[in-house]
Amino acid sequence: MFWRSLSTLPTLWAVITVCYLLLHFTPGGPFDAERAMSPAVLANLQAKYHLDLPLWKQYVYYLGNLLRGDLGASYRYADWSVNELVAAAAPVSLLIGGVSLVLSFALGVAAGIAAALRRNSIIDYGVMLLSNIGHTFPSFVVGPVLIVVFATTLGWLPAGGLQSGDIRYYVLPIGLLVLINMASISRVMRGGLIDVMNSPFIRTARAKGLPLRTIVLRHAFKPAVLPVVSLLSPMAISSITSAIVTETVFSLPGIGRLVVNAAINRDYTLVLGLVVLITVFAVVLNLIVDLCYAWLDPKIRY
Amino acid sequence: MFRCTTALALAVVCTTFAVAANALPNSPTALPQAGSPQPLQILNRGNGGEPESLDPALVQSVESGYITDDLFEGLTALDTAGNVVPGIATGWTQVDPTTWQIDLRPSTWSNGDPLTADDFVYAWQRYFDPQTAAPTASSFDTFFLNAPAILAGEAPVTALGVKALSPLRLQITTAYPVPFFPEILAHHPFVPVHRATIERHGKQWTKPANMVSNGAFTLADWRVNDRVTLQRNPRYWDADAVILSQVNFLTIEDHASEYKLYQAGELDMTRGIPAGSFPRLKAEPGAELKSIPSLNLRYFSLNNSDALLADKRVRQALSMVIDRDILVDRIMADGQIPAYSVLIDGIAGARVVPYEWAQWPMARKIETARALLAQAGISPGTRVKISYNTNDLHKKVALYLAAEWKQKLGIDTTLENMEFRVLLRERNAGNFQIARDGWVADYRDATSMLTIVRCRSAQNSNKNCNEEAEALMVQAQHAPDDATRTDLQTRAAALIMQDYPMVPLSQGTQTHLVKPYVAGYGENNPIGRQRSRYLHILAH
Repeated sequence: MFWRSLSTLPTLWAVITVCYLLLHFTPGGPFDAERAMSPAVLANLQAKYHLDLPLWKQYVYYLGNLLRGDLGASYRYADWSVNELVAAAAPVSLLIGGVSLVLSFALGVAAGIAAALRRNSIIDYGVMLLSNIGHTFPSFVVGPVLIVVFATTLGWLPAGGLQSGDIRYYVLPIGLLVLINMASISRVMRGGLIDVMNSPFIRTARAKGLPLRTIVLRHAFKPAVLPVVSLLSPMAISSITSAIVTETVFSLPGIGRLVVNAAINRDYTLVLGLVVLITVFAVVLNLIVDLCYAWLDPKIRY
Repeated sequence: MFRCTTALALAVVCTTFAVAANALPNSPTALPQAGSPQPLQILNRGNGGEPESLDPALVQSVESGYITDDLFEGLTALDTAGNVVPGIATGWTQVDPTTWQIDLRPSTWSNGDPLTADDFVYAWQRYFDPQTAAPTASSFDTFFLNAPAILAGEAPVTALGVKALSPLRLQITTAYPVPFFPEILAHHPFVPVHRATIERHGKQWTKPANMVSNGAFTLADWRVNDRVTLQRNPRYWDADAVILSQVNFLTIEDHASEYKLYQAGELDMTRGIPAGSFPRLKAEPGAELKSIPSLNLRYFSLNNSDALLADKRVRQALSMVIDRDILVDRIMADGQIPAYSVLIDGIAGARVVPYEWAQWPMARKIETARALLAQAGISPGTRVKISYNTNDLHKKVALYLAAEWKQKLGIDTTLENMEFRVLLRERNAGNFQIARDGWVADYRDATSMLTIVRCRSAQNSNKNCNEEAEALMVQAQHAPDDATRTDLQTRAAALIMQDYPMVPLSQGTQTHLVKPYVAGYGENNPIGRQRSRYLHILAH
């Protein structure tokens, strides 16, 4: 496992380098503005952010700082370092994405099991209908509808923003993410469990006269949930670090909005800082998923 | 590529939001007006994007400017109508054409330190210091003696034309006579900053725990991409006139999301309105939609060095046949006003002289334009290229122009959309034929608008130059009185526009939604800076 963790370092370096080069070769720079600057002002700005150095020197300078844990200064948000911006946005995204992931896993798996065990029943149709809605209605439609119903019309919940300590602000964004994620989880869980329930070892368990509850929870659950687990890693990345639509609809100060704005503003250091964060996050998540695989399926060994 | 895709995705998302918002039911909130203030004086303002800085020297955007307007106050300030009024200055005297003497009122910083003329000298020297790398410095360096040399690192900051004659008296030397100088002093970079705080905290001085300011409000909290919270400053020199106790500036880039917060009562004022919602909001009762003409010109730059567009007759023909009334009413549909000059309503120091053909019937315009093209040897089927940044409105306008030119002149058009920063780079480098452009005046004087069509100006994407007009502008700088100056600048503008360097299309408006219980909103403020010190909440 240690070597496996170590082998992710070249991946991280490659991602940073490719992203660094792509950013610098993309046309348009951080200081291109509707109001063109005079050469003297532009030169002062470039000197301030070391953009006057040759590209390889800038790269070495950046990597040196990165090794010391310094993600640099933001070009756009002059009063903040990238570390500060990431530290401010990450908890919001982690909380909303994390809670929605746990909830959608629990609810999605439960709904999937219920649908699989009662195939072609009203429960099955209900779960599949919800799943289809989650799949087909994009979040930028469902989100505003949730706001109109629960905030504007009923006035039960705030329409957006965050107030620390007030749980009501989290309900709609988490609800939206749960609806989207549950759609995939319940469908995959249903399919997985139906497959497993038709396999010979389950038939043996039934033949032994085991109660359905024991068959499902002790024998069928682990192999059936495997495809859901492989779904979780990309789902976690999209819910936590790339929930751009949800963050925009509900005006949340999370990582998704930061990434998009940083890219549009050519805020090289902020984009790179967030790419580092998202890459580390993806690597760690994949490790956790691999560990879960080993636990769920004894045939898998690392 | 990744970023172009992301921007494209965001544009699609925003468009869909706008469509979704338009489909939503209206909820007019015509509340009864009451004369007395509400006991709880907290104002929630939608403020657009995240402020890039709260350091007055580094402020570039409107969203940052709105906040620093509340945190700091300069020698002069703007009132609710956008007029120049005394701020920290009690009065100003033009000792000679280039020297201003300004007296300060006794006042203090938010930490109780006395505010002196030295604080202004420090702030301005810091603004033009190359180390500060102030991004807006090239818009203002022309006014101050030695500022361009300081910016270029060729003179020390102490050479700047400003000195403290006494703790409450300041002397400023301009590079040439600037009759509208008091208005320049109301701009963000020219507010004082607290030297001890900056020297102690460095870049961290703008954080809530550290900031010392001198405006009507102090910084209480700043959460990135969420909100900036200000609280009433009891040490502000005119604190008795400030009614609001707290102002929350909420960061919401997406106007559709902002509108929903407004409908839900979580915002008292918005920064804008959802795309395409202007006609509907305007028709709603309660007059919550405020639409005020601003000093903003939408136009298309023409590359005057391009082989086809080098001929003035071609540029004139292209400009003449665009029906601007239909453009603003049906295509833009956001309250804009047709424009036929580089100068727009609300600008001082020159009169607006529209093209003489502006009032002609369209048939006559088309006939003249066709004749001009024939004289220039341009036959129908000739192709031009319009470049614009990816945005629904810009696309609609570009399509409209293409249709006008095709139907009326037989000219074919290629449309090229690109990401915003790419367009800026290409436009500044002259790699375009016809490009979407826009300009917001920094100050009311005509020179602020003429900078987009003057010789050798960094803001001139057309790269046109009329030396005769340039000479008039230089003459205007040394004009003995305002009337002569206005005449000279009017003549210069007319001369330049007779060259048809660009295609003026419309004068912009600021559109906001304001709850009926918000008092003090400046209904006729072309500058658009609505300072919270004038606003308050009525009982409702």
